[in-house]
Amino acid sequence: MTSNLLDPSIPQARSARWQFWHQREPEQYMGYLFALPAVLIIVVFRLYPLVSGAQYSLTDWNGIGEAHYIGLDNYERLLHDQVFRDTMLNALKLIVTLPIWVIFPMVLAILIHQGVPGGGFFRAAYFFPAVLSSVIIGSIFNLFLRYDGSFNNMLGHLGIPAVDWLSDSKIALFTVIAVEIWATFGINVLIFLSGLSTVPDELIDAAKVDGANLFQTVVRVIIPVLRPITEFVSVATIIGMLTSMFGLIYVMTSGGPGTATYLPEYLIWFQQGRLNEPAYAAATSMVLFVFMSIVALFEIRLMSRGSDM
Amino acid sequence: MIATRRVRPDKAAMWLLALPMGLIALSTIYPIFFTINIAAKTRKEYILDRFAISHTFYWENFSSAWEQSHMQDYFLNSVITTAGAVFLLLLVSSLAGYAFGCMRFKGRRLLFYLCLIGLMVPVQVILVPFYKLILDLHLLNKHAGLILSYTAFFLPFCTYLMTSFYAGIPREIIESAKLDGASLWMVYLRIILPMGKPALLSLGILNTLYCWNDVLISLLVMQERDKRTLMVGVTSLRGEFSTNVPQFAAGVILSVLPVIVVFLIFQRQIAKGITVGAVKG
Repeated sequence: MTSNLLDPSIPQARSARWQFWHQREPEQYMGYLFALPAVLIIVVFRLYPLVSGAQYSLTDWNGIGEAHYIGLDNYERLLHDQVFRDTMLNALKLIVTLPIWVIFPMVLAILIHQGVPGGGFFRAAYFFPAVLSSVIIGSIFNLFLRYDGSFNNMLGHLGIPAVDWLSDSKIALFTVIAVEIWATFGINVLIFLSGLSTVPDELIDAAKVDGANLFQTVVRVIIPVLRPITEFVSVATIIGMLTSMFGLIYVMTSGGPGTATYLPEYLIWFQQGRLNEPAYAAATSMVLFVFMSIVALFEIRLMSRGSDM
Repeated sequence: MIATRRVRPDKAAMWLLALPMGLIALSTIYPIFFTINIAAKTRKEYILDRFAISHTFYWENFSSAWEQSHMQDYFLNSVITTAGAVFLLLLVSSLAGYAFGCMRFKGRRLLFYLCLIGLMVPVQVILVPFYKLILDLHLLNKHAGLILSYTAFFLPFCTYLMTSFYAGIPREIIESAKLDGASLWMVYLRIILPMGKPALLSLGILNTLYCWNDVLISLLVMQERDKRTLMVGVTSLRGEFSTNVPQFAAGVILSVLPVIVVFLIFQRQIAKGITVGAVKG
């Protein structure tokens, strides 16, 4: 994705001497000057902390005193930490729901693309929740889903008994996941729609000429063409799952009941801020980082394959 | 032309499918009205009947949510940090995009990749060392601290997007300006910035939303009560108003009002910004 970006079809500058006489400031050093603020901010605030975080994870630092090197003890402790295990299991459950996050918006996007009446309005309405903060969404759904709230009341009219959506440890995680899907599926609809706009019309026409109905056209023609974008959406969604659910958990369940809705990002925040064990939290962070890096490498591979074509 | 693209015989099926799709659309819009309805009730009305549509509109919920419980302060903090961060993001990323996209200098590729690696380091992964850094730089509980933090976390993507945008500018435009004796700074001010307007507008809107909606970074950097941003403030509002739900709902509505206005005005740009970001990386 980036390699072609850096090789724009810029005609090579003329001779060095020509450049020297015709430019007030040589690009050589002006380039550094212009790029410096961005590089500096990113290196100081993102890359340096990554390195120092890896260092902290190997110490017993408590936030104030001196840090002593203790090797991999923090990581070993994680292995035996029930809360960490619960968190990882929750993350696994979350990732297993991936097909819903991908297929549901894909179907909606295909239908909008195929000209469902009101498609333009649906498109806009679907991504409206995506511009709201997770705090707002969480607050609204807290009102909506509480035991004596409107949702249970609605179900009551349909003869379905009330469910404790946020305090039942078997259900709470899936409630939060459902709310997050509701809040973000519109983004994936948009991405699929942009992918659909690249489907050649002739392909669909040909299928139509062959007498294929809508369902056959979708399954045999459209879905295969969408494959690269589906892979991309899947990877991006996994990254989103691990990095954008903090607000919802913080507002809706605070990780509870018990550890039922702990996810890695919440656990890290909890270990750092509440338990005041920054070194331990740093170790958890590194586990998350390694996992996300593997996912991100997949993403880079997918994207570079896309640009080669 | 459009008609040929679509599979026509299924028109009836399309109308049938529009029904569940409409219900889904209803579900994404309804919660806001649900909350407005609660906010319009008096406390007594709410306790008597939570679900009925409110016949009166009890404005006092809004004014008291705004005046009590520091919402004004929170709002101001959000405005300052969001505006500051967006300005800094656009400035820094347009400069870097100009350098990476239009100039040739040694190490350009390396520095650009360094910026992109930043994309792979979300705040969750560096929570502890990032907090320590903010502490060491004496930026804790300071607006400048949160502005710099937002800039750091949203900058890699902005830099990437501005670079790809500026890489598409024809070289001749810049060369001819230089031949006319313009310095690189003049080129930046007179050509690069004006030409970047569409991309900068799109990034500006998108990052306004990101900064305004953020919870985790703000929770980390602004820990004093009177430095809280609006979204963190809303979470604390919840505790204070646990007995007065309508007033809490009013607070929620007040804090999303700016976002709804931005959405209604810039809906197209937001949609474009989201997809460009996703498809390009």
